[in-house]
Amino acid sequence: MFAAIARRISLSFLILILVSLFVFLATEVLPGDALDVSLTDDDLAVLTPEQLAEMRAELGLDRPAAVRYLSWLSGALVGDFGNTIITRAPVADIIMGPLRNSILLALATTAVAIPVAHFIGILAAYWRDRAPDTIVSTSAIVGYSIPEFVSGNALILIFAIWLPIFPATIVLYTDGPILEMLAVSILPVATIVIGSIAYLSRLLRLGLVEALVSDYVERARLAGVSEWRVVFTHAVPASLVPTLNAAALYVAGLLSGIVVVEKVFAYPGLGLELINAVLKREVPVVQATVFLGAVGVLLMNLLADLSIIALDPRVRRSAGRG
Amino acid sequence: MLKKSGKRILRSPVTMIGIAVLTAHMAIAALAPWLTPYGSSELAGMPFEPPSREFWLGTDILGRDYLTRLLMGGRITISVALCGVFIAIVAGAFFGLAAAWHGGMIDEVIMRLVDTKVAIPSILLVGVLIPGFGQSVPVLILVIALVYVSGVIRTVRALALTIAPQGFVTAAVLRGESNLSIMCREFLPNVLDLLCVEFAIRMSSAILLVSSLSFLGLGISPPTPDWGLMVSEGVGYIHTDPWLVIYPSIALSTLVVALNLTTEGVANALGLDAARGMTKG
Amino acid sequence: MTTISRRAVLKASAWSAAAAYMARVGIIDSASAQPAPKPGGGLVYAVTSPNNRLGDATNGLHPHNWIDLANRTCYNALVWVDENLELQPELATSWEADDGQEVWEVDLREGVEFHDGSEMTSKDVVSSFEFHRTETSFARQIASVEAIGNHKVRFRLTEGNSEFPYILAEYHCMIMPAAEPDKIGLSGIGTGPFKPVGFDPRRSIKMVANERYWRTGHPYLETLEVVNRGGQMEGAVNGFLSGQFDAVTNIDPGFVRQFQGRDDTSIVYASGGDQALMILPKYDGSPFNDKRVRQAIAAAIDRDRIARIVYGSDGGWVGNDTPLASSDPNFLAYPYKYDTERARALLAEAGYPDGITLPTFYFAPYWPEIPRIFQVMSEMLREAGITMPIEERPNDGYRQWRVEDAEGTRKHRFAYGPVGIRNPGISLYRMRPDNNESGYWSGESAERYMELYAKALVTGDPSARREIYHEMQEIAFEDAPAILPVGRRNILIHKSNIAGLDNHPQAWSIRFDEVHRL
Repeated sequence: MFAAIARRISLSFLILILVSLFVFLATEVLPGDALDVSLTDDDLAVLTPEQLAEMRAELGLDRPAAVRYLSWLSGALVGDFGNTIITRAPVADIIMGPLRNSILLALATTAVAIPVAHFIGILAAYWRDRAPDTIVSTSAIVGYSIPEFVSGNALILIFAIWLPIFPATIVLYTDGPILEMLAVSILPVATIVIGSIAYLSRLLRLGLVEALVSDYVERARLAGVSEWRVVFTHAVPASLVPTLNAAALYVAGLLSGIVVVEKVFAYPGLGLELINAVLKREVPVVQATVFLGAVGVLLMNLLADLSIIALDPRVRRSAGRG
Repeated sequence: MLKKSGKRILRSPVTMIGIAVLTAHMAIAALAPWLTPYGSSELAGMPFEPPSREFWLGTDILGRDYLTRLLMGGRITISVALCGVFIAIVAGAFFGLAAAWHGGMIDEVIMRLVDTKVAIPSILLVGVLIPGFGQSVPVLILVIALVYVSGVIRTVRALALTIAPQGFVTAAVLRGESNLSIMCREFLPNVLDLLCVEFAIRMSSAILLVSSLSFLGLGISPPTPDWGLMVSEGVGYIHTDPWLVIYPSIALSTLVVALNLTTEGVANALGLDAARGMTKG
Repeated sequence: MTTISRRAVLKASAWSAAAAYMARVGIIDSASAQPAPKPGGGLVYAVTSPNNRLGDATNGLHPHNWIDLANRTCYNALVWVDENLELQPELATSWEADDGQEVWEVDLREGVEFHDGSEMTSKDVVSSFEFHRTETSFARQIASVEAIGNHKVRFRLTEGNSEFPYILAEYHCMIMPAAEPDKIGLSGIGTGPFKPVGFDPRRSIKMVANERYWRTGHPYLETLEVVNRGGQMEGAVNGFLSGQFDAVTNIDPGFVRQFQGRDDTSIVYASGGDQALMILPKYDGSPFNDKRVRQAIAAAIDRDRIARIVYGSDGGWVGNDTPLASSDPNFLAYPYKYDTERARALLAEAGYPDGITLPTFYFAPYWPEIPRIFQVMSEMLREAGITMPIEERPNDGYRQWRVEDAEGTRKHRFAYGPVGIRNPGISLYRMRPDNNESGYWSGESAERYMELYAKALVTGDPSARREIYHEMQEIAFEDAPAILPVGRRNILIHKSNIAGLDNHPQAWSIRFDEVHRL
């Protein structure tokens, strides 16, 4: 089992390097480099090609792509994400605040989404194929079918402009106090929850439906355990295994959702930072941001696998053998 | 089996509604060029004309007939999503089966590439590839295929792994059939149900993705009529002319909801689960 | 619609403009021109234009990295270009050039203090320009700068430039306290009406009034906050509607419709703004090598109609196929009429009697109305037998993509380019033969055009220069090296309880000195 985990972790490193290589190649494909986009059309209208070449050399952008990538990678492997290209500021300083805010947003979303998903999932599974299931499942699908840019803007229109309860756009500084940040993130959290609840609750429903008809639960019923206790102490834990399996995919989806929502609400998170970094061709910032996202996904993957091993005796045995 | 599935579908009113709406959408998309009185980018009237006998839904911000644009607005999105997802399904089935059947190094390489793809947020993938290669239709199709292929590979591989140990596969191997023939003759028929459901799920997600991209200015290029673009063009007029946003939003949402309800109903009837694919990746 | 429509002029807050003008020319103190504005209160405004140069926590206060070029809140330049594109003294009081327009002597205002109380002298100006002339593209023409006493400096240019004072008004060319080139400007200390107190360059900058400001009695506001909503037009307007912002600069002209007739909102139009350039590439095999094709396109565009559809009755102006703006005093109205018959005749003459299909035209939504302009134009050209397929590209990397390989082959794209409002010399210089914006224009007309430009550069007398500029525009009308059909007038919205906030065709030149709450 430990061998399996060790293998997983070393593979994760390989994947991180592959991700960084992809990100680097992708940013190379983009027209223009950090220098080009830091200059305005006005600047470019008066600068000569020689002057541009000189400036490019000063920033180290004239080195071959492979050299630039390897020098970045050698730093990143020891935890040094380097400096931004134009302003020479440490990348770590730049992404620290946004990282904190995005984690905050993700935690707040999860804290809301999990109980809501359980509620809906249990409701739907218990009254399977009857009115509550149909209503809940259909509304979840409708929620899922609305793009974040529509639901986010609709929430702004209703709860910020017609009923001025929440801010329409977030003006807090990146290093704003955590509690204030949480207070202004109610609409963003609601937007992400609406979009992702369908997926989570459907997964839970599925697991629960299987669990509710299993021998294990049937035995508990025959033993005279009350129906609600059957659901909460027997069926729900058993349904978590298939749910965890999909958790990593869910995190990957959440990351993309957060990017859109951060843009709609101007939430000072990693997603907004990523968009800006791509626009400004600040490859080190793009790399660091994607790197952190990838680490998050891989960690969730690993955690999910470990929990499955811990929760499910069958997998535990086979993992022990393999 | 098929008959029983059919009955289950007919018994579910929600699924039937889904199928009806979906059929209507498909008919409109197919027939739109013959239904519309004006050219889709023709400046037929003045901007913001109210509904009239000439323009049943009025005109848009540039003076184009809104009904025409609305009827035409799903065609490109649906086609792009259709082509992109089709490529993703074919490629995903191929690589998923290959990984499951060969195992070993091939499985390892394919699955690690899939993991790599999953670890990169799709929004970055799209945000880099489209400025890099332009927002023409072929590029959009390839982007869609790339976004969805990894999920398909995972699903197909997982199912194929449960098929591999079964007797008919072993029998085929003993008969000395080639790998290709085993994949096509033994595996493919058994994953076909799943592929159909996968196709439908990814399709609804892809339609959302293409519309979101058009909304963000990374998708379909004007002057093509497109719902996502129409929403983004109309969003500044939501207080004065809300219909500019509401009509295309309704068109888009009914299509996606109908598609999802249909998929859900069909998948339930086939005994497959439709939830797994519902990530907004 | 040849110049600014009269209705729009009346709409601009007339009394504050008049008072500001009189104060500027020194007739009266603006405070006494009208019932004195109440000092106090604050203003929060959002900017929507993206800033390429945004800095970070360590250098974001430097005028090169200042949030959306809103430099004139914290800093001053030597010269200010006013709302009508006329030069006005700022930290300079007067300037003079030698006959070759190569050596410029500038007298500095006395008694100006920086935020920290130190006096601004020629030492600071020299130190600032030692930085600018290596770091600011427009200032690279400065060969040397030296102090003559405490309140006078002398600039030597690499070649004559009769419009050099405009360079001194550019958004980067702010005056900072003297320091080494690698340290200058980082403190955020300037001579401007406000001084920064809180700051996150990616989010917003909070400022308070500078009690030492050299324009006595100004500013009226106690606090000013600039919120960065670059590329987030909806977010900025939503913030305005929900009451978070008092003003938003450079809004989408399409958004105006929802604010018309609202009592709580004032819409302020600038006298001009960017215009849309259609680049006609003239490499071997391009259909635009034939002058008649270019003239046919120019004749087949109903400029008034584009402006009306895209900008409504107030928001746009009609261009004359040169990079000059209609609000420029040197601007000549476009002499030809919209005439599809003439366009068809020209095409037939050029060998396309049945119409012509142009290559795909590309554009990026630099401004939100750009896709609208070219959709309308493409439909219009169809009426004259010209088929022009169009395709949108993302803003991201657009310029680099558009000129890709242009240096080697000059085979750049048939595409849109943004043209901002600047002084006439710089604007007309954009049509130079070695710039892709002119489509690498060549031939006798282009040569004559550049001869005239060289002459204008060393012509000190403005009216003589205007004659030259007129001649250059006439050459462009005839040869049609590029098409510039319409331009925008920048739009600013603010709450009705704010006054004295004038809009400006150059967003970075908006001043907040006169702004006050009612």
